[in-house]
Amino acid sequence: MALNWTRYASPASFHPLAGKLIPWFGWGAAVLAAIGLWLGFAVAPTDFQQGEVYRIIFIHVPSAWMSMFLYVVMAFWGALLLAFNTRLSGMMAQAIAPTGALMTFLALWTGALWGRPTWGTYWAWDARMTSELILLFLYLGIIALRQAIGEARRADRACAVLSLVGVVNIPIIYYSVQWWNTLHQGASVKPTGSSMEATMLWGMLVMSFAFWFYAIAVVLSRVRSIMLERERSAAWVAALPEVGSAR
Amino acid sequence: MNHWHFILGAYGVTVLLLIVEVVALRARRRNAVAAAQASIENLPTP
Amino acid sequence: MKPRHRRIAWILAGIAVLGVAVALVLNAFQSNLVFFFSPTDVAENKAPQGRTFRIGGLVEEKSVRRDGIVVHFKVTDTAKTIPVTYQGILPDLFKEGKGVVAQGKLQPDGTFVASEVLAKHDENYMPPEAAAAVNKAHIDAAEKNAAKTLAH
Repeated sequence: MALNWTRYASPASFHPLAGKLIPWFGWGAAVLAAIGLWLGFAVAPTDFQQGEVYRIIFIHVPSAWMSMFLYVVMAFWGALLLAFNTRLSGMMAQAIAPTGALMTFLALWTGALWGRPTWGTYWAWDARMTSELILLFLYLGIIALRQAIGEARRADRACAVLSLVGVVNIPIIYYSVQWWNTLHQGASVKPTGSSMEATMLWGMLVMSFAFWFYAIAVVLSRVRSIMLERERSAAWVAALPEVGSAR
Repeated sequence: MNHWHFILGAYGVTVLLLIVEVVALRARRRNAVAAAQASIENLPTP
Repeated sequence: MKPRHRRIAWILAGIAVLGVAVALVLNAFQSNLVFFFSPTDVAENKAPQGRTFRIGGLVEEKSVRRDGIVVHFKVTDTAKTIPVTYQGILPDLFKEGKGVVAQGKLQPDGTFVASEVLAKHDENYMPPEAAAAVNKAHIDAAEKNAAKTLAH
């Protein structure tokens, strides 16, 4: 292969690369969010049955999608760690967990505030909501497990195993509205098409990209800190301009 | 049927938590750099 | 706190979190996977007998009747229908022809006395004008069909 991708799997070369990417994704997220909110609040029309309150969809669906997507990515890094035992894998998995937990919480929170005025309740123990709550506890369990073990390399392996076991929950969340009778409605956006008016759909998609960019920027930033925390006495850390300049 | 207070509650908490995460990360970064600098100073000079 | 104490605290927190997650999974598999039963399920005796459960379906057209503070309506899945009585505040999205989930008890006479009524909306989002156009298209199609039947 002309480009040796494994070169970037070492913290020494991934750290500066992540540093260069963060502003692009961070500002990209801000610009996309501005466009998405403009579409969502200024362009998209009022809904025929829900009125204005449906506009919560522009943060609810993106955060719910990200909560599942980040979990899959975290489990993927866990699998890489168990298979190849690369240092970066464990650091990436560690960096994703808090943002995944935050996205899951936001999906539940915005869902509750949307459910009250439409369904008539903040919460119901239906399959969709219960499985999303289980996802939150999986994230929190993985974070707690890492803190409990303390030693980074052992924590990496244990968290990887737990996150891989928890992957079964992801299809359950996604298909819950098809498999069982739920209070939550079915998916508006499916591979076969969408059941939303075009500007509403665009607002939601642009906001999803904003959340995605935000998550990338935040995870890259966190993984940079994790690299310094874990390898603070390594030669490559000492050679960093922001670290070495103190001398 | 406008429920703007629900919309405000959803967006308000979302924005607040995202800001909290960014601020926490900046603090973590500062601490990590400081800790790395401190550990270099303890290294024997080559 | 000493590091050892902190670690024990995290282990306890982890066990608590995982315990709650497992409890939720078991609870979900036991009863909550089926959030509600359809009128057909109830007719086929698939719903639990003698205790509260939820029924779900559409509010039948022209079935809502207000009797003082008591609301009467019928829940249908187009095959079977169950009469429901409910005393309380209905959600804003409760409407004839729209989805509904009601929790309560089935009486011996076949009526369902609800203690909680939730609206179940669908996954379609569109402006009112578009909804009106879709509605009109349905009615036009129905009229065309009716005209065709009459012409035969």
